[in-house]
Amino acid sequence: MKYALFLGCAIPIKYPGFEAVTRLVCERLGIELVDLPFSCCPPTTSLKLVHYDSWLALAARNICLAEEQGLDVLTLCSGCVNTLKEANHVLKQNEAKKKRVNRILEDTNHCFQGSVQVTHILDVLYQDSVVERIIKEKSRDIPLRIGCHYGCHYFRPPKVMYPDELSDAESYVPVRMDHLLSIIGVEPIEYSRKFLCCGSPLGANVDQDAGYAITRQKLGYIQERDIQGVSVICPSCFEQFDMGQIVLAKKSKERPKTPIFYLTQLIGLALGLSPKEVGLDVHRVKARKLLEETGIGWQ
Amino acid sequence: MNDIKIWKHFNRESLYECYQCARCTGSCPAMEVAPAFGPRETILKCIGLGHEQVVEDERLWLCCTCNVCEDRCPQKIPIGDLLVALRNSAARRGNIPGRLAMAVELLAKTGRSMIVHQLDGMRAHHGLAPLPAAPVDELQKILRKAGLHQIVEF
Repeated sequence: MKYALFLGCAIPIKYPGFEAVTRLVCERLGIELVDLPFSCCPPTTSLKLVHYDSWLALAARNICLAEEQGLDVLTLCSGCVNTLKEANHVLKQNEAKKKRVNRILEDTNHCFQGSVQVTHILDVLYQDSVVERIIKEKSRDIPLRIGCHYGCHYFRPPKVMYPDELSDAESYVPVRMDHLLSIIGVEPIEYSRKFLCCGSPLGANVDQDAGYAITRQKLGYIQERDIQGVSVICPSCFEQFDMGQIVLAKKSKERPKTPIFYLTQLIGLALGLSPKEVGLDVHRVKARKLLEETGIGWQ
Repeated sequence: MNDIKIWKHFNRESLYECYQCARCTGSCPAMEVAPAFGPRETILKCIGLGHEQVVEDERLWLCCTCNVCEDRCPQKIPIGDLLVALRNSAARRGNIPGRLAMAVELLAKTGRSMIVHQLDGMRAHHGLAPLPAAPVDELQKILRKAGLHQIVEF
């Protein structure tokens, strides 16, 4: 199993701990990762809204790099997977757009073919052979009650993100993170408005306070259940919940209390890596007390 | 290369599929916290007043791009495509939030969406090598040919 690793921007620049633990976890599970000179994805929440053609061309260049190596693209972020999967989908289906993009790319010696797939780390880990390997390699259970947050762009619009798995109403309700975590001993907990946005794009583009108002709502729904931590698969969602709790605490005097985990950190802990090795030491909302109380420990 | 035109990216006829049930707007997280139009009103304004009225208003940008509106639309109107097309048109007329314009300028100048600051030490803390620079010259060549410089200077 071999993929071109698409790091994006937020992970290698803001949360390199997620990159490090993902590389360690993939190595343990026999997933080979190849680094290529990718650029920003670019985001569906920024460049696409301002200039669609630039968004499509830059995304196409990234896909071309993987095509030139004959590798599928593995992303670590709900935003990156949205951009690259949608661009791949559009360019495979729309001959006119493909022609236009290839005319833009010809000066840089790339040509979109439509020969590879784009996927997300959650979907890679969810494959049967990888799940079997996780069960074999796992050295401990992670007995935490976790609420999963998928990030809107991971699965919407479903007709682009999961066209083969649509419900009768042509929708898609993601469950893979809940299922995957349950095999490492996590108890996935349902909560109200589980698929509500984290608030990040509204905050980043227009109004930080309005973005955090959504975050506060979502954290409220999470905290009204008996949830000890949240698992995410997107660095923007992570920042919104982790940093967001610190920002919101300054306004409301309420203590930040719900540690946020990136999916591969929890998998890494189950594979026997220490909390520091999975990068939990740099999170703003500290997980130390929770891990010590639940017997996972901090060393 | 021409920028996308609204009714090329979104079939104008689809506007008339909307029967104003407001399920989209009732699901919209931005509507709960900000004076946004919401998708229902956006469609109504496009039909009743013309899209010019919408693209000149800065409230058009109060959106999470979460796409829940489109997901819940009983008429399956591709609202996400409409909102992208309208915002592209707004940006072309200079209606673009300052924070977003800065983000796009940063992307075009560095090939990344985040400011790289004291990164090597942080990556070393996690046992990682420095991040290679993005191939900015190549990226800018692509962005200029696509026409981004007509919208945002870089």
